[in-house]
Amino acid sequence: MRDGLWRGAAALLLWGALAPAAAADAPPALAQLEQAVAADPDSPRPASDYRMAAIRAGEYDRAIEFFERLVAAHPKSANAWLNYGYAYVDKIPAAGAITRVILANQSLEKFTKSIELQRAWLALYTRGNSYLYWPPIFGKGPLAVADLEEAIALVKREPQRRPVHARVYVALGDAYWRTEQPEKARAVWREGAAHFPGTPQLQARLARDGDELSAYLYNQLSPNERVDTSLAPLWAEP
Amino acid sequence: MGAAWGRSFVALAGLGACLSFAVAGEEATAPAASWFEEVAVAAGITSRHTNRAFENPYAEIMSGYTALGAAVAVGDFDGDGWEDLFVTDSAAGAPNHLYRNLTGESGRLAFADVARAAGVAEGNDARNATTDALWLDYDGDGRQDLFVARCGRSLLFHNEGRGRFREVTREAGLDAHANALAALAFDADRDGRLDLLVGSYFQPVDLFQPQTPRFFPESFESAQNGGGVTFYRNLGPDQAGRVRFAEETAAAGLAQSGWTLDLGHGDADGDGDEDLYVACDFGTDRLFVNDSRPGAPRFRDVTAAALGIDTKKGMNAEWGDYDGDGRPDVYVTNITDDYMREGNFLWHNDGPAPDGGGPRFTDVSRETGTHDTGWGWGGKFLDYDNDGRLDLFVVNGWVSAGTESYVPLIFEMILRGGVDLADVRNWPPMGERSLSGYQRDRLFHNQGGVFRDEAPRHGLDSQRDGRGVAVADLDRDGRQDVFVANADAAPHLYRNRLPTGARWVAFQLEGRRSNRDAVGARLTLTAGGRRLVRWLDGGNGFAGQSSRRVHFGLGAAERAEALEVQWPSGERQRFAGFAAGRLYRIVEGEPELQALPAAQESRR
Repeated sequence: MRDGLWRGAAALLLWGALAPAAAADAPPALAQLEQAVAADPDSPRPASDYRMAAIRAGEYDRAIEFFERLVAAHPKSANAWLNYGYAYVDKIPAAGAITRVILANQSLEKFTKSIELQRAWLALYTRGNSYLYWPPIFGKGPLAVADLEEAIALVKREPQRRPVHARVYVALGDAYWRTEQPEKARAVWREGAAHFPGTPQLQARLARDGDELSAYLYNQLSPNERVDTSLAPLWAEP
Repeated sequence: MGAAWGRSFVALAGLGACLSFAVAGEEATAPAASWFEEVAVAAGITSRHTNRAFENPYAEIMSGYTALGAAVAVGDFDGDGWEDLFVTDSAAGAPNHLYRNLTGESGRLAFADVARAAGVAEGNDARNATTDALWLDYDGDGRQDLFVARCGRSLLFHNEGRGRFREVTREAGLDAHANALAALAFDADRDGRLDLLVGSYFQPVDLFQPQTPRFFPESFESAQNGGGVTFYRNLGPDQAGRVRFAEETAAAGLAQSGWTLDLGHGDADGDGDEDLYVACDFGTDRLFVNDSRPGAPRFRDVTAAALGIDTKKGMNAEWGDYDGDGRPDVYVTNITDDYMREGNFLWHNDGPAPDGGGPRFTDVSRETGTHDTGWGWGGKFLDYDNDGRLDLFVVNGWVSAGTESYVPLIFEMILRGGVDLADVRNWPPMGERSLSGYQRDRLFHNQGGVFRDEAPRHGLDSQRDGRGVAVADLDRDGRQDVFVANADAAPHLYRNRLPTGARWVAFQLEGRRSNRDAVGARLTLTAGGRRLVRWLDGGNGFAGQSSRRVHFGLGAAERAEALEVQWPSGERQRFAGFAAGRLYRIVEGEPELQALPAAQESRR
């Protein structure tokens, strides 16, 4: 979840470069955005906009606490729980190695709650993709495969194919690779590439093999890089 | 972020300069065969380190967190011109070892353990475990004394001459209980005397019979219940002529309670005094700049401005100018494994901040290829191929035991939440599991600002759990040898047999106004059109003290054109035009270099 629209060093650096200026007027902006989220907790856009602003301001804990209150007020909102989980993910690059694990675990709990409320492709993709960041020794690879297979099945039932769906193909292939199913990995990446030609993440994977591919994926799934959790691609033009 | 970008650019610009650096000795030093030979047992190094086994209610848990104490220190204790080795053990009742260098007589590396005869073998008993060692001439009598760091009460041995030592800990004012893991001797206030800095891991509880179970780190990333550091100022001789130390940690601005693993000093800001890097576990590494006046040691914490980030697991603090820009950089090991991708630090010294705000460093470990060594411990700069560029040797691995991993157990505790981490009883026993075990040591060859691991080629890729590293030209053949102290295992002694003609020159300094060991001296050598800068340190790097002789690889240059020595006293001396391939003695204030007998001459 590091390359492309949702991830990438360029985005990280952009956020970093903007952070000092944004921090100066962060409180009023964040307060307004919090009002917008609270007024429409089931809508992904206000929640995403708010988290992006919180990242720019470095107000990770504030965002977590806000979503904690939000889900308390709206315990049936799958979107609120999903963004609550993202708020933990957003803090990971700013934390030490051990705290990262704790944050990642917290985010999984919130994603799971969202899925319990609504088995949406986005939530399943998010949780499945999160599992991929865990070291293999934790045995989360099969969980990732299960979530992402379900996510891709749901994506295929979507009325309109959208570029954002390519990520599910990327992640499911990564999950197959992680669980030592290289042929299935290649098959799903190829399928994704057929549906979404020119997707750089898929091309990068299909252009590599063996150790080179393993090293590439290892670096792609580094907790040291910021995962771009903006949901903007959901409402972007196809 | 803008400032950070600026610093990165400076660092990368430095790399670019390195890449265009002329490599005078490249052809002469390029054969593909191994250049190192493991000779420990053949040379008489027959001891094996054993971790301390505790006998208390928490012993099973403690054993997973105390695989430490394997250390080595290089020093010529008998003044015969051949550098000797002090090698530690940690098991109850096990002796420490003083390996006298007999190479001069044999022509091959050869050592004999004379620790008992010298009176320095005793270091491990029911209440004390040896963890580190340091040679220093604390009283300036020209003989190397010995500090033995311990969990318990550390020891200071005065070198009485004739191969004998006398324990003087109490009379020197150093008798204190601490769980020391690191020691550093340097002249903090430039008064001409070596001060002593001791780093402790656990707080000063009795680890052997703890009165409380709450002595483990209270946090993985911000623990403040560690042992911190203790600064002892050297007061010089009293009326009876006995040198005493005074504990002045707080007055020196060094009071802290981190989990100290290593200490390193260097002149970060180029102002001629010694700054400090304190590597800490479970918390933030610290960089202190020196604001001392003679008789008034004082340091200032500049960590946030100078470093900015930390991975909370610093294990090594080695200083050296890897990129030839004349400023000392710092190499810090961290944990890099599948479950924790911290990455080591190679802190490039960017020079002082433009606003006068002190030194600035940028981590260039990824750009240079030195970030991932596994769970790193001791790391030392050296120039093993005598090409004039500093290479880097790093040892790695925590506990190599059974095939099962300890990782899931520790993370189960972490993720459980609400655990009182300070209480040792809450930590899972490691048992026969491994944690970052069987990791290979790395020999990073400096190829002009970027490094390539050459350990497999040279047979230095041991999987033992390495701790301390010492670099010294033990057979005085102009090639730097490497000693590795491994935890719960036999050590390695790697003899460097670099086959062809890269030149070298080395210097043995003796202070007069400065401290006798000349710790803190800066040497700037010009040879073959290059300008190389080295510093003489007082024990940098985890659990390993390298030679005090300052070694320069010269590549193809047959002569050194000039040498400038900046002594800790501030005095500068310049020497012009001398031949390569010799070890020279330099005495502060004396105008001539003195060429010491070459190894072959010495053997006759």
